[in-house]
Amino acid sequence: MEVQRKAVQKKLLKIRVNGKDYEVMVKPNRTLLDFLRQDLGLTGTKQACMDNSCGACTVIVDKMAVKSCNILALQVYGREVTTIEGLASPDGKLTDLQEAFLDFNAFQCGFCAPGKVMSATAMLEEMEDPTEEDVRRDMEGNLCRCTGYKQYIDAIMYVVKKRKELKQQKAKEV
Amino acid sequence: MSEFSIVGKHVRRKDGLLKITGQAKYTFDVVLPGMLHGKLLRSPLPHAKILNIDTSKAAKLPGVELILTGKDTKGIRYGFVDTPNHPAEERPIAEEKVRFIGETVAAVFADDIDIAEEALDLIDVDYDPLPAVFDPEEAMKDGAPQIHDTITRDTSCAWEDWGVARKTHSYTPMNNVAARVFIGYGDIDKGFAEADYIREDRFKIPATSHMAMEPHCIVASWNPFEERLDVWLNHMAFELKRYWLHKTLGIPISKIVVHHAYIGGAFGGKAPVFDFEIIAGFATKRICKPVKIVLTREEVFSSCRNSHRFDITIKTGVKKDGTIVAQHTKVIVDAGAYKGSAPVAMFFCHAVGDPCLDRKNVRHEGVAVYTNKNFNFARRGHGSPQMRFATDSHYDQICEDLGIDPVEFLLKNLRKKGDVLPNGDRLNSYGLPECIRRVAEEIGWKEKRGKQRNMNRGVGVGINGMFSGSAYWPFSCAAILKLEHDGKVALLHGDCEFGQGAETSYSQIVAEVLGLSLEDVTYVRGNSDVWPTNYSNFLSGGIFVGGGAAYNAAIDLREKIVKVASEILRVMPEEIELKEGKAVSKKDPRRSCTFAEIKRYNIQKHMGDPLIGFGYKKAVPEIEFYPSLSKGTGRFTDAYGFAAAAAEVEVDKDTGRTKVLKIVVAHDCGREINPGTVVGQMYSQAVQGMGDALFEEIMDESGRIMNPNLIDYEIPRAFDVPEIVVIDCSDPDPNGPFGAKEAGECARAAVISAIANAIYDATGVRVNRLPVTPERMLNLLRAKDKDQ
Repeated sequence: MEVQRKAVQKKLLKIRVNGKDYEVMVKPNRTLLDFLRQDLGLTGTKQACMDNSCGACTVIVDKMAVKSCNILALQVYGREVTTIEGLASPDGKLTDLQEAFLDFNAFQCGFCAPGKVMSATAMLEEMEDPTEEDVRRDMEGNLCRCTGYKQYIDAIMYVVKKRKELKQQKAKEV
Repeated sequence: MSEFSIVGKHVRRKDGLLKITGQAKYTFDVVLPGMLHGKLLRSPLPHAKILNIDTSKAAKLPGVELILTGKDTKGIRYGFVDTPNHPAEERPIAEEKVRFIGETVAAVFADDIDIAEEALDLIDVDYDPLPAVFDPEEAMKDGAPQIHDTITRDTSCAWEDWGVARKTHSYTPMNNVAARVFIGYGDIDKGFAEADYIREDRFKIPATSHMAMEPHCIVASWNPFEERLDVWLNHMAFELKRYWLHKTLGIPISKIVVHHAYIGGAFGGKAPVFDFEIIAGFATKRICKPVKIVLTREEVFSSCRNSHRFDITIKTGVKKDGTIVAQHTKVIVDAGAYKGSAPVAMFFCHAVGDPCLDRKNVRHEGVAVYTNKNFNFARRGHGSPQMRFATDSHYDQICEDLGIDPVEFLLKNLRKKGDVLPNGDRLNSYGLPECIRRVAEEIGWKEKRGKQRNMNRGVGVGINGMFSGSAYWPFSCAAILKLEHDGKVALLHGDCEFGQGAETSYSQIVAEVLGLSLEDVTYVRGNSDVWPTNYSNFLSGGIFVGGGAAYNAAIDLREKIVKVASEILRVMPEEIELKEGKAVSKKDPRRSCTFAEIKRYNIQKHMGDPLIGFGYKKAVPEIEFYPSLSKGTGRFTDAYGFAAAAAEVEVDKDTGRTKVLKIVVAHDCGREINPGTVVGQMYSQAVQGMGDALFEEIMDESGRIMNPNLIDYEIPRAFDVPEIVVIDCSDPDPNGPFGAKEAGECARAAVISAIANAIYDATGVRVNRLPVTPERMLNLLRAKDKDQ
């Protein structure tokens, strides 16, 4: 008996990832996560649940935090994707959130950390002055088993405070 | 002011930069050229004979390279417990029958995962269903389905390999009994006769998931020319996995190389060797191509180890004033299809409680029973969370019955620093009394206990003790410290990093001893070719044993550096101090030389000796092998860590929902080497304990797990986190590096008890079964209303 596999037609994907433009052929069933990890080798984005419930795979599409395991690569055709690898500047300068996560000992095993950084980055783009309650609600989609979340939340609130101070200072200077 | 320059300071993690930029490599991320992907076919039935497996269609699927069934791996046996009396019975692939839903029946290796998954669908397995049994008490009855025939080992058992002078013999589980423990001291009959009040309670605790974020995975690559097996895997002590790969695959142990990879959480759930790991090793050796297996979250739930299901009956006799005079505990562990670590859990649940309170006359009986369900392993406390929930709830009820304050009760029954336990362990450090006092104070015990029921609020307290490594052979650790040409040092240490902070805290210890900064210490992320012996990551032995080895290596290097410096500076060794990468004369600080100069001088003047420090440490120096699990005799650990927790909750009587308002954890970890890490461990345990108390339960029906995903199996999320206060009550242990001992496992159990007892205080309802879901709470509240 012949056993054959169904042929799958690849399709063209145009996408910008971490500032670089790609035009590649991908299978229609390729998730954004698999595309990033396997086709582009960007393994900083993790996968832990496989069913859209843990947030370890969070990336930023345009300005929105998106769980990349739950979206097809072709669905983000023409969009701009930022992963954890695209946050720090090329000379190695971290973002204020990354620095705060380090200072507060926010993560332990680190497997959920990239997803948390991406979620928090998008959140603070959207909300300038969130309360701790807002932060807890917004970060609800990002599971962590090591830390009990507390140091993450503290670190984010610290960044909120620092950014506010910085803004006030700038306003004064003007 | 601290007497130390770097120990005790909150510092950034050594692995932090890699992890926060996505550069840290986990096994999950490892890709090798030409790598095949493996998928496992799992049993859909809880108990069935395998009549035939037809893999012919799957084998013809283009891209499929290898299919394995139980015929290929027949006879391979392994298990966490592999002793002369209890030989291992786990097997990588089911042979003549399957014993639980999720057991591996076949494995496919193909060019990509999609092909491997398609191939699974093309395998035809012909099963003959057998009667199955899911309840341990049913399983122990005469006439119940027998899950195992005689268990025989064709080879030596692990303990024989490790030097125990006893031959393995076959074991026939009668009435599905996998193992028993019977531990006792004092005279319980006499104790109960002296008691003014005796109470008995029964508690049930379900299986829960470790739920480490990184799913279990392995990459294995066999090099046929060098006959070497390279592996990247999730582990908690590389030596344990390496031993079992060697034992099951017949590869010399020195030819198995475990490579460094970060581990995405463990909590006990990644310590034992798994079927898929042996299958991966077997497959790569067969086809000489690298293979990778990543389990799905569902497979982690249904085919990897979960925590132990306990059924606990506890009877305690007390004097009128609350002094405990006797205690009799009986535990039934629903082991599942294979024994896993059930024999150990039954022992542990007694042994880690014993240092807490003096119960005087004690009998502890345990039985582990085979059932047709997935089997279990240690989860952060290994039996102690289950036992502490039962014991502390039971004490709380005794206090209620006798009108005694629970905190006073605990303080009255404490052991004393310096006490020698019945098994010979000595409490050289004992911060528990202080922990209890401080959590009571912080939660507002005196003002709140028993006074807030009108507001549906309550407070509760729980305690726990935990070992700092034990004598699981060869439970020891060694470390090598190289002095580099620039005067900095490199630490060769085999401890893996699964979040606990080993890289950072060991580096702090080394830096402190040598007068260096944290940046001057490189934690070498090598592989098992260069790592000295290491068994210390699990059994809570990290800082005490692993950190102890690093400390000893630093002391060794320090002595060598001082000796050379004394020669260079022409001052007596005791007049030299090490600071800022230099050896300095205490009398005349102008006389100094750098470590770089010391290294150069020593190579030139002393036969090329580059100055290498070496250190090692054993968990319990006096004993050669493990204490007797079944009798509970023999030294267990050299230092116990302690914790107490208090919680305040509010119960919504309309919905049954419990809201935790505040958790206080006080811990005695000897010394906080890195306070940021230790506090992180406590937050973690507070939140995990809250999950255990309120919502975590693996539900099964006829052997099938009903909630094998993170939607139906809830773990705490950011929004659930209450106010948490952590209090350091460390009592430095004379045998720990800078006094440090266990910190990572102890508190979880105390938090579970504290929440359960707070629920009682809030409602007057005693919870005998975890978790306290809103549904259970409502039923209990209704039952109570009916009674009144």
